Amino acid sequence: MTKTQPSDEREFAEEQSSLFKITLGPLAWALHFVASYAAAAVWCAKGPGGSILPLRLGIGAMTAVALGLILWVGWRAWQQWDFTDDWDYEHARARGEDRHEFLGHAAFLLAIVSFVGTCYTALPALYIGTCR
Amino acid sequence: MTDHILPGSRRPGVEETPFEAEAHGPEGIYPPTEEMLREPVDPDVAKAQEARLRKAWKTPTGWRYWSAVNNSEVGVWYSMTAFVFMLLAGILALAVRVQLAVPDNDFLSADRFNQFFTMHGSAMMFLFAVPMFEAISILILPAFLGARDMPFPRLSAYGYWCFLIGGVFVMGSILFGVAPDAGWFMYPPLATQHSGMGSDIWLLGLSFIEVASIAAAVELIVGVLKCRPPGMRVNIMPLYAWYVLVVGGMILFAFPPLIAGDFLFELERSFDWPFFDPTRGGDPMLWQHLFWIFGHPEVYIIFLPSIAIAAMVVPTAAQRPIVGYSWIVLSAVGTGFLSFGLWVHHMFTTGLPTISLGFFSAASEAVVIPTGVQLFAFAATLMVGKVRMSLPMLWISGALAIFVAGGLTGVMVAIAPFDWQVHDTYFIVAHLHYTLFGGMVFPVIGGVYYFYPFIRKKKLSDRMGRWAFWLIFAGFNLTFLPMHLTGLKGMPRRVFTYPGDIGWDWLNLVSSVGAFVIAAGFAIFAWDLVRPKGRQADPARNPWGAGTLEWSHEIPEEFWGVRSIPHITSRYPLWDQPDLVARMDAGRFYLPDAEEGRRETMITSVIDATPMQVLRVTGPAWVTIWAAIFTGGAFIFPTFHWYPPAIICGGLAIACVIYWLWTSTAEIPEKEKKDAGLGLKLPIYVSGPKAAGWWGVWITMLGDSTAFASLVFGVFFYWTARPDFPPEGTDHAAWALSLLALALLVGSWAATFGARYLNGRSHWRTVMTSLVAAPLLAAAGCAALIFAVRVPDLQPTTHVYPAVLWALTIWTVVHVGAGIIMQLYCLAALLAGKITPRHDAPLWNITLYWHFICLTVIVTVAVTAGLPRLL
Repeated sequence: MTKTQPSDEREFAEEQSSLFKITLGPLAWALHFVASYAAAAVWCAKGPGGSILPLRLGIGAMTAVALGLILWVGWRAWQQWDFTDDWDYEHARARGEDRHEFLGHAAFLLAIVSFVGTCYTALPALYIGTCR
Repeated sequence: MTDHILPGSRRPGVEETPFEAEAHGPEGIYPPTEEMLREPVDPDVAKAQEARLRKAWKTPTGWRYWSAVNNSEVGVWYSMTAFVFMLLAGILALAVRVQLAVPDNDFLSADRFNQFFTMHGSAMMFLFAVPMFEAISILILPAFLGARDMPFPRLSAYGYWCFLIGGVFVMGSILFGVAPDAGWFMYPPLATQHSGMGSDIWLLGLSFIEVASIAAAVELIVGVLKCRPPGMRVNIMPLYAWYVLVVGGMILFAFPPLIAGDFLFELERSFDWPFFDPTRGGDPMLWQHLFWIFGHPEVYIIFLPSIAIAAMVVPTAAQRPIVGYSWIVLSAVGTGFLSFGLWVHHMFTTGLPTISLGFFSAASEAVVIPTGVQLFAFAATLMVGKVRMSLPMLWISGALAIFVAGGLTGVMVAIAPFDWQVHDTYFIVAHLHYTLFGGMVFPVIGGVYYFYPFIRKKKLSDRMGRWAFWLIFAGFNLTFLPMHLTGLKGMPRRVFTYPGDIGWDWLNLVSSVGAFVIAAGFAIFAWDLVRPKGRQADPARNPWGAGTLEWSHEIPEEFWGVRSIPHITSRYPLWDQPDLVARMDAGRFYLPDAEEGRRETMITSVIDATPMQVLRVTGPAWVTIWAAIFTGGAFIFPTFHWYPPAIICGGLAIACVIYWLWTSTAEIPEKEKKDAGLGLKLPIYVSGPKAAGWWGVWITMLGDSTAFASLVFGVFFYWTARPDFPPEGTDHAAWALSLLALALLVGSWAATFGARYLNGRSHWRTVMTSLVAAPLLAAAGCAALIFAVRVPDLQPTTHVYPAVLWALTIWTVVHVGAGIIMQLYCLAALLAGKITPRHDAPLWNITLYWHFICLTVIVTVAVTAGLPRLL
């Protein structure tokens, strides 16, 4: 049983990185969101009070990291989508290439949504200067 | 990527992936060649096959009918029960509207009014909206996937009976005047300090139903991942399946926080542990967080599967493939994620830091993007297609119009300062009804008209359908459009009456009239649904000219699901694969026979749907009903504080489940492989990640871990929200005992894992020794864990800190207890020869469970014994 490759394992080996890419964009959004929320909650409850500038700068830094990650994922997904190769955006055929490019396309679109979502999350830190 | 092509078998656009030789794996030719598919089936053989299939899938008759577990029966019961609960909740709404029709009315007393609006909301959410998704999916998903049934039919049946018992119990309480009355979100301290039993009924009755929801989610996710027909890769599966996958995942992450909240809440109600009592270190805000971490995603859990119905109706109406398949997948997945970042927008007025409100306001605006994308994809499909304005499409159009209106007010209330003005007013009532009618009620009714010929093999009346539509559509807007204004004029929700002459009179009267117009529409719809249709001629097999697989169904009805399981190479196989239905009917495709008289369906791989196994699914059984009855007892008796019968019921429920698993799962088949047709031989018994059961455990435990994570979140919440957590000079859990517990329980995990690993590699005595040691270690570990909080005499009623330690300990001990039962089950199975070196599925499944338990134990010890000493 050691040398054989059941279908699931073979497919996962083939598409592991694309499954990873699909979730990584939204996951970056989610982690950034939770980290921003937790940082604000802890800072406002346990922090020194007064200016929240360090909190805002921290959220800014986290945003830069998250956006960087999402851009990287988006770029890799764009490459996987390989749109300019055949201008296909339907991926409706029953073959490995379509499945592969479909997963790339979906990951690319999710990266865009995650990018916008992360920018939105960062906006309050840009404008709001106090906990209250 | 390497492509293997069998000589002479190439079909355009289809890749060949022959199986590599594997002792217990699939063997033979896949995918089938065109020549193979073209070869006719001998009619005599086909007839004999049909007779055998029909016999295997026969629905029991007479009173035994109720022992059926087939998705086509359970799905109908489930959806009709949910529909009845909806009608009951609707009647409550009518009573509420009568009371509010005129000022200073005394049609309902304040107390009864409270019960009615609470039950209206609770029933619509928990007994209608979410169960309806599960019901409809159980009913139609296998047909979308060309599967014979869901992977765990008895689990669906068990879920249904749990739902029925829990629903009747919760709804029935209203007849005795003891129904929950603290609003559908049960805020403490009102709900915790309430003296009646209403809150207990809500907590226990609905927790019970939530368990059923999670069971259905597990079933549906495994169904989508593993029961697709051969060839239906992820990029061509029906959009409905994508939505089910996303929504199932959301249920796993949304419902558990509420279950964790219910657990804490009931501990406070029954044993006075002060989780939400600020005088003893608790905080009512924790409930609000846990409730809305569930509550907001739940809105999308309701919305997405209903809009998924639209994603099936729209391409049929437009007579062309959906525009932007990838975009809709993006939209479903994106909405699924973003919907978890919205919960605090229900809590804008609770005094959280403004910057925190800002994050949730921003996420609430961001979720509009993916939600909007799918609506634009539908609009684009309709624009480029040739639209036939069928009755289902009329309902979908109404849905889109109403939902967009609800979405626009949603954008308004997502802005915190606006929400401060309208919070808890009728503006919110109007907003939420617009989103729920547009996002759920209309598309689901559209779906009922669309799928009725598939479900009942008859058509609903077009004329009555249009009457119902216009009555409900007009009545809806008459009721809820004025409510925006009522709310802006300051009328708070949930008041049982109001004085005259402050500008609310006529608005309320109009709303009340509108409510009865909606009711008239529903009466027509309900009558159309149940009226006898015996004399009506059979409808066409594919009455709407749709392209998806469910319309290959048979009229008159056959209970085998599909005559043979097809090889799919298109998103719209009925449009693109011309000979498909004829070949399915002829039994040309896979599993055309039931030689051994067993119910069988096909398990395929997750990504490309290559055939992997012939799964024998279970048939009719009473044990599922008994299991549900006893589970019901275990939840319902505690509402009356009758703990001994509850414990007995719990024990009997466990006994039923063990009997059920022992007698009908992981049976060792009479032969290793069987001929699946078209030159393919598939294994009957698989274990580990190849088996549907393993995926079921994995998905269940994901949900379970979320509930545990919610409890841990509670600890951190108390730490940030309360200055006295942990209180000065308090005792902590005994660290030495905690570490001992950790060592013993990790040891038990290692023994379990070892048993699985050694099985087949070593002498069975070694495996046995491992499996004997494992439960002993686990039991000792449990004892150590309990003594770690008992020895320092931590009293859970004194303060929230000891209460939290106890709650985490109980949670872990109960889970280890289940783990012990599983270890003993495997030990017995090993002794009885149910587990052999080759047949080891139960061992794989319990090992997976124990991986999660090991993690739970590590976190519990870290949080109870380690962390408080550091804070």
